[in-house]
Amino acid sequence: MTDAIMSSVTAPPSAPLGRRGPLGSVLVHAGLIAASIAMLYPLLWMISASVRPEDEIFASTSLWPSSIDVASYLRGWFGLDVSFGRFFWNSLVVAVLTVIGNVVACSLAAYAFARLRFAGRNFWFAIMLGTLMIPYHVTLIPQYVLFLNLGWVNTFLPLVVPKFLASDAFFIFLMVQFFRGIPRELDEAAMMDGCGPWRIYWKIMVPLSLPVLATAAIFSFIWTWDDFFGPLIYLNDMNTYTIQLGLRTFVDSSSTSDWGGLFAMSTLSLVPVFFFFLFFQRLLIEGIATTGMKR
Amino acid sequence: MAAVQDSAVVVGGGVQARPAAQGRWASIWAKHGAGYMFLLPWLIGFFGLTLGPAIASLYLSFTSFDLIRAPEWVGTANYVRIATADPKFAAAMQVTFLYVVLSVPFKLSFALLVAILLDRGVRGLTVYRAIFYLPSLLGGSVAIAVLWRQLFAGDGLINSLLAQFGIEGPSWISHPNYAIWTLVVLSVWQFGSPMIIFLAGLRQIPTDMYEAASLDGASKFRQFYKITLPLLTPVIFFNAVVQTIDAFKAFTPAFIISGGTGGPINSTLFYTLYLYQEAFGNFRMGYASALAWILVLIIALFTAFSFLTSRYWVHYDD
Amino acid sequence: MTQKISRRSVLAGGAALLSYAAFAPHAFSQETRLRLLWWGSQTRADRTNKVSELFKTANPGVAINGEFLGWSDYWPRLATQVAGGNAPDVIQMDYRYIVEYARRGALAPLDSYLGSVLKVEDFDQVQIKGGSVDGKLYGISLGANSTAMMVNTVAFEEAGVDLPTPSTTWDELARMGLEITKAGKRKGYYGLSDGSGVEPLLENWLRQRGKALFTADGKIAYDANDGAEWFAMWQKMREDKACVPADIQALDQFNIETSPLSLGKAATSYAHSNQLVGYQAINKDKIVLSSHALISKDAKGGHYRKPSMFFSVSAKTSDPELGAKYVNFFVKDPEAAKILGVERGVPESASVREALAPSLDDLGRAALEYVSGLGALAGDLPPPPPSGAGEAELALRRVAEQVAFGQLDAKQGGETLVDEVTQILSRG
Repeated sequence: MTDAIMSSVTAPPSAPLGRRGPLGSVLVHAGLIAASIAMLYPLLWMISASVRPEDEIFASTSLWPSSIDVASYLRGWFGLDVSFGRFFWNSLVVAVLTVIGNVVACSLAAYAFARLRFAGRNFWFAIMLGTLMIPYHVTLIPQYVLFLNLGWVNTFLPLVVPKFLASDAFFIFLMVQFFRGIPRELDEAAMMDGCGPWRIYWKIMVPLSLPVLATAAIFSFIWTWDDFFGPLIYLNDMNTYTIQLGLRTFVDSSSTSDWGGLFAMSTLSLVPVFFFFLFFQRLLIEGIATTGMKR
Repeated sequence: MAAVQDSAVVVGGGVQARPAAQGRWASIWAKHGAGYMFLLPWLIGFFGLTLGPAIASLYLSFTSFDLIRAPEWVGTANYVRIATADPKFAAAMQVTFLYVVLSVPFKLSFALLVAILLDRGVRGLTVYRAIFYLPSLLGGSVAIAVLWRQLFAGDGLINSLLAQFGIEGPSWISHPNYAIWTLVVLSVWQFGSPMIIFLAGLRQIPTDMYEAASLDGASKFRQFYKITLPLLTPVIFFNAVVQTIDAFKAFTPAFIISGGTGGPINSTLFYTLYLYQEAFGNFRMGYASALAWILVLIIALFTAFSFLTSRYWVHYDD
Repeated sequence: MTQKISRRSVLAGGAALLSYAAFAPHAFSQETRLRLLWWGSQTRADRTNKVSELFKTANPGVAINGEFLGWSDYWPRLATQVAGGNAPDVIQMDYRYIVEYARRGALAPLDSYLGSVLKVEDFDQVQIKGGSVDGKLYGISLGANSTAMMVNTVAFEEAGVDLPTPSTTWDELARMGLEITKAGKRKGYYGLSDGSGVEPLLENWLRQRGKALFTADGKIAYDANDGAEWFAMWQKMREDKACVPADIQALDQFNIETSPLSLGKAATSYAHSNQLVGYQAINKDKIVLSSHALISKDAKGGHYRKPSMFFSVSAKTSDPELGAKYVNFFVKDPEAAKILGVERGVPESASVREALAPSLDDLGRAALEYVSGLGALAGDLPPPPPSGAGEAELALRRVAEQVAFGQLDAKQGGETLVDEVTQILSRG
């Protein structure tokens, strides 16, 4: 039955709307390309900074290095006590686990808030939003004490376990908004057929909200990849460092810093996130087919 | 918070007809059980990990706590000081409100504009989308701090561009009148997240609605105004609420670009940066906690207000 | 540990395998473990870790875990660990923070180990005192440095200006700055950095006037007139264009890479002698150290040899004696000294200093010669900065910017500064 619903709602996507004349198209692309340059500039600058002589990075404003030397990549990768490959691996482990945790746990909670009726729902929803508002600096120390007593400090658990417990209210709220956009007739029809909430969640909500789940996956991955403060507090042993901690290790503004190594590894650290983004953004497009539904 | 609760209760024709219950508990379970089952992971996390530290920090806000010695109860002294004798609190509030008011509308309109342009069948959509997301990948890295100084310094790229038009710009990033603007630009430039969310929202709008409207002879502008915008309101609402919360809590941009000082002359002293200075620089975690709870209160009022007004303009399908 | 793993497997499902390596518990061992935390770069870490290896060889059964971070990340991590009751055993401390941590009972007093474990008899006794708070010893100095002016020699030569000497006065320095700016050899280039917001520089100037930043009992030790004169001196240099304008100076976050010198905006900058290496690394032109200018030809200098950093032992450590033993090894062992060089500052032990001199590179020797050659320019060590000193430093910086950007005049600047610092110190 649910399969029947699915096929009835996946009407083939129509031709792209809003076709413009050739002139309009040129204008739009000109604008987009100009904007792209502004977006790409920092990347170019960073690559340039990673290969130029260190005594040129701060004083020169030109994008072109006076000479090119890729030694900073080797120095950055091998120069710390622990090889940078280790940091990549650690970041990958934390980020992948975070993605799984956020997508699963937050979609469950979001489904409850968006679709199920139960006493206290609005109360919990307000509380959930409230957790989004507390600045993390002041809960840090109590949380540290908590994790220390659990024996989790210096492991990835403080960074990962909360994600499996839907600690990130941003994603719950995001998913609630999208789940509410899915026509209720679908659940009702499924319910008539005897489907329970689990089947409705799994057979209707999840497939129909792939774009938002993909969005959550992308954000989870990237934000974890960029996160610095959590790892700074919870990871002490260099073998457990994530990329951002590794990068900060290059810089000590009170003595000497390896700026070349920093920019070289910063550039490399973008590669996995970029590929993750490219891979998951396909799901954003696949959303079209499932959302061209009749009401 | 009543407003928040009210508007979250928009429940359309629920189908809750259930066979007569076997007993009272069974009937309660049948009615509420499923909801709590789905909420279980979040509830465990909330009671196990979030609630304790939150209560602890609320308690600390009524103490003098220097991070090392045991906290000492001082009643409302921290709050009284904030309200009556803390010029930095006022300065930080001003900077933060300015940042919220400037960055959120600019960022959201820019993200929405680009999302709409990209959504409408532009060739190379995936390439553009990836490129436009790039600044957000860089997050708050050290690289951004160095780059932003080079762009917005007196002899930076921005002023070189302005010079082409005969304008001699100041050192934007280090001038108390303009420094906050460079942070606003940074925030707008990292518009990738709301853009992606807008795109996902646009994808959810059924294409046949446009087809029907086209047949009726509605113009593009009218289609946008009558179909796209109303159906996108839940997503616009979401982005507005979370971006506002984020902007109130913004820390990293000011921290990396001002080197943690909030300078020049407190012009980039974000509220959370001040809070951080108090907590970790000046060993006043109790005071910082009081600052934090005042911020929570302000954000909560804003959010409650948003939810209150949302019923007049946010269009839910359920 | 096994329980932790099973919980994780349930939670992470298939990903558990992926994460195994990262979560794997450390090998269980019977060794005594010593945790070390310091700030610095990889260079410093390499040296420190080698010394730890030496110590382990000399003391079998001891395992050492070293952690390090950059300066700005170091303090929040240390604060969190101390607050959580998980402080490292041996902690690198700064002169600025030792009072904050010692008075609150986070550090162990080391007096009882003096002579037995800590054999620091040949140390400059004044420097030993520098690690004392309220009469108890809480830190052993790892090296001395002093504030210094970093000078871009090439920029001076280009403009045909002689380098500053130990007897250069502020008037002369201002003139040098003016000449460099006027020579206009580089685009948008000025003679001097604006030092009005640099606390160690103000301290040097105050000391020449027979005053100081703080009294021994933690009060402000200068008045609004001193402040006003200070700001007026810089105001004049700014107006003459001897130093950089306000908006260039405001780029400076008082670290190496954002100083006007490193940004290619000015020929001088104000820093500490052990930072010479860091400055030279990101500057093409040759940089040398110079002592600060004098208020008059017959003035006594305002310098002092400052403990650049300490090793302290945590009050919570299970074996304070072992901590003290490590610290002693670090500052006394000749092999260790060779490895460490002057990277943390000039060693305090006379014998170590002598043993070290031949093995130093040019920059290291320059730093050593600078600090030991201060002679009459260097006076007594002031008491460690009181609680609230960090906030007072930020206040100076902000008021200096308010004067530079014209929001206050020099006189108002002096009054505001003294008001604010007084308030900060009274709040503690």
